[in-house]
Amino acid sequence: MKAMLQAQHVKKVFGQKGNVFTALDDIDLEIKEGEFVGVMGPSGSGKTTLLNILSTIDQPTAGSIFIDGSRIDNLKEDQLSSFRRNKLGFIFQDYNLLDTLTIEENIVLPLALAKVSAKEIDRRVKNIAHKIGIEEILAKFPYQVSGGQKQRTAASRAIIAGPSLIFADEPTGALDSKSATALLQSLSQLNEREHATIMMVTHDAFAASFCSRVLFIKDGAMFTELVKGQTSRKDYFQKILDVLSALGGGMDDLI
Amino acid sequence: MTLFSIARKNIKRNFYNYFLYFASMIFSIVIFFTFVSLQYNDQVAEASTMKISTAFKGASIVLIIFVGIFIWYSNAFFTRRRKKEVALYSLLGVRKRQIGKMLFYENFVMGLFALIIGVVLGTLLSKFFVMLLMKMMGFAVDVAFMISGKAILETVIVFAIIILITSFEGYRLIYRFKLIDLFHAEKKGESAPKASVFAALLAIIFLAAGYFISTQTLTSKLWLSNILMTALIILASVTLGTFLLFRSLTIYMIKLSKKNRSQYYKGINIIGTSQLLYRIKGNARILTIIALLSAVTLCAIGTSYSMFYNAKQLSNAMNPFSYAYISQGKPLDQKVHGIINHQSDHQPASLYSTKVIKQEINIDWDKAPNGYFMDRKRSTFLSNSAFNQLAKTLGQKGSLHLKGDAAVALDNQYSKTFSPHYRGKTLDIKTNDGREKLHFVGFKDYNVINSNLAGFPVVVSDQLFQKLVRSGQVQTIKQWQVKNDTDSAELTKRLASILPKKAEFTDFYRPYKDMMAGNGMLMFLGAFLGLVFLLATGSIIYFKQLTEAAADKERYDILKKIGVTKKEIRHSIAKQMLFIFSMPLGIGILHSAFALSALSDLMGRNILAPVLISMGVYTVIYIMYYFLTVNSYFKLVTQGK
Repeated sequence: MKAMLQAQHVKKVFGQKGNVFTALDDIDLEIKEGEFVGVMGPSGSGKTTLLNILSTIDQPTAGSIFIDGSRIDNLKEDQLSSFRRNKLGFIFQDYNLLDTLTIEENIVLPLALAKVSAKEIDRRVKNIAHKIGIEEILAKFPYQVSGGQKQRTAASRAIIAGPSLIFADEPTGALDSKSATALLQSLSQLNEREHATIMMVTHDAFAASFCSRVLFIKDGAMFTELVKGQTSRKDYFQKILDVLSALGGGMDDLI
Repeated sequence: MTLFSIARKNIKRNFYNYFLYFASMIFSIVIFFTFVSLQYNDQVAEASTMKISTAFKGASIVLIIFVGIFIWYSNAFFTRRRKKEVALYSLLGVRKRQIGKMLFYENFVMGLFALIIGVVLGTLLSKFFVMLLMKMMGFAVDVAFMISGKAILETVIVFAIIILITSFEGYRLIYRFKLIDLFHAEKKGESAPKASVFAALLAIIFLAAGYFISTQTLTSKLWLSNILMTALIILASVTLGTFLLFRSLTIYMIKLSKKNRSQYYKGINIIGTSQLLYRIKGNARILTIIALLSAVTLCAIGTSYSMFYNAKQLSNAMNPFSYAYISQGKPLDQKVHGIINHQSDHQPASLYSTKVIKQEINIDWDKAPNGYFMDRKRSTFLSNSAFNQLAKTLGQKGSLHLKGDAAVALDNQYSKTFSPHYRGKTLDIKTNDGREKLHFVGFKDYNVINSNLAGFPVVVSDQLFQKLVRSGQVQTIKQWQVKNDTDSAELTKRLASILPKKAEFTDFYRPYKDMMAGNGMLMFLGAFLGLVFLLATGSIIYFKQLTEAAADKERYDILKKIGVTKKEIRHSIAKQMLFIFSMPLGIGILHSAFALSALSDLMGRNILAPVLISMGVYTVIYIMYYFLTVNSYFKLVTQGK
């Protein structure tokens, strides 16, 4: 399997002279095509910083990043924008839906930006809405639907353009447990059936247990990783909890 | 640390944030002060023959209302941006009363400084404006620099009141809102507007009705029944129509454009269109105001400029010759000749003598309302050949060949609305064999004899003229055409002093000068108020759009995250703003076009050129506001991370 994302010696330093804080220190990681990778770590460990850098929203201080074979850490702003649009999908904790658009319009946004024909757009929306189970709410506005539905809308928007890589930043953070489970099931189905490559940052061990591999970060450096392999989800969940307790610090808000 | 010093520090530290508000306050004060000082300027008062104070008083009341609204609006914009700051004070436990006082002091201190700066700037500017006004009125006067105590007093009083009111509004801010509201200055989840077909139809009906009535001539039944009422009906129906238009028809149009999926789903269109739809409801009122303000401004500028533009032409039509008088015998004619030929500035000068018959006439034609013939009871008859000669001299086309009792009227003020339709009318005159009937076969819309001297000039056939000559006393009208008659004060004065009253001396110069002075002032007032209105109009849209930009920032952040380039964002903003700016401008121009065409009918003159120039100037300045707004909007939503 080819590597979808490669990060080498990634370093991120915040602040100016005299008052510097190293958020990420020499991180190496690789995500293969079709993987569903979780990133966990205590508060302040740098997991969101890592996601922002890998997803081109932020730039690293040092190191190099390759996504789908092309180097992205030295691209210009407008090039990055088109790269994000064409290659990446995003799911954020606070949904980031546009409240001026209907659910359907929110979903088609990436396709519209890519100037896909209206006919093709309609076909793909139907297809995805069916898969994610949001067909009935397509004509509604974001403020008219529940948090779970909003997040599934965001997930639909993230995958509709067929991105190489989907980034999810605490996607279940604002959801109740039932909606969270439904969303995670949708994501893992996408991963299994469509071979979507997903990287998800979470501090929720239950959410992480849906991944095929979980990376643990502590104080800006890689701590360990846990591969699901053939273990059942329940056992995997237990293993994740064990690692987290070994990690310690700031993880008392586990579940 | 006193509250006063906190307020003072607040201003000092956030000066940039305060700048917009501060600048608009200073602007208002400068404008008002300049205007009032013009009103109290002795030189201006001396120069104008018209009652200057009435015109200026009226204009200054309009200005007060306008400036008041403008400051109120920018104050509202300014306080909205500070809600979070106020909420923070409240959260930290500062008492409401104290916060209120602080806001009050802040506004008051700013107002005070603005007043001082405004008056100083205004004093400097007023000299420039006096010069401009004098020039427009056609006077070459050395303008002295002067400070008017009265003007300062009046400005201070007016703005002290406005500042006190807005300061009190600031004080009330903290009492008007709950803490939670202050943190969420913009409420979320505004429902999507519904397009009502009924309202859209109503908009079209109201506008069509207003336009229809305005195109009716003044002599039609609609107008004659009650002029004021009809004008009010037009105003109301156009206002209502405009509002409904923005409220429903635009929504309808945007929704329609959404239906066209392949266009709607093309690139960034989807964002711009939905954004417009989302905002249009809240914008309907402001777009209406902008459209109506534009219309009023355009009418004011268009009217005053048309007057100014046509002054020379009008004077020429009224008095085609530099001088005209009824000959009082050879010695006096020679004296006049001597005086004119003595003036080297006014050479070459040429004399035209015309034999005419003057007669009292009695016209009872109906359809000539409003005393059209009041000053035309005296008719001047001239022969066909004399007319042809004079018309040729004046460069007018079309010579006459009248036979028998045919006659042609000369009416330089001809207006379709008010003037009688001459063709087919008859007139009784006295000849040597008793009374005779003249038959009018038409009219000419220019004069060949200076109007005041001529009364109601009628051209008759040469044969008939001979008959008239035998019956009455023939008079000779001497008409002079001199060079530089627009600048002939001295010569005119000398001639007027030697010619007796019964010579009925009329000149081109004096009526022209009076008209220039009156129209110049009107033009100045129109341009001044127009400019103020335009600047305020532009600023209102600007403020409104920037308020929205602040609220929309989040949305653009999302777009950036999912990969919309800055270029696309700028493009989308430019498109949205184009819609917001062009709609009211287009409607405003349309409104004013109807109003001005009615005016053109009324004046009986073609005012296309000055109106187009006014509209062009207005549009250019308006477009500059457009670019400014797009730029600021873009910066606001893309700045930061």
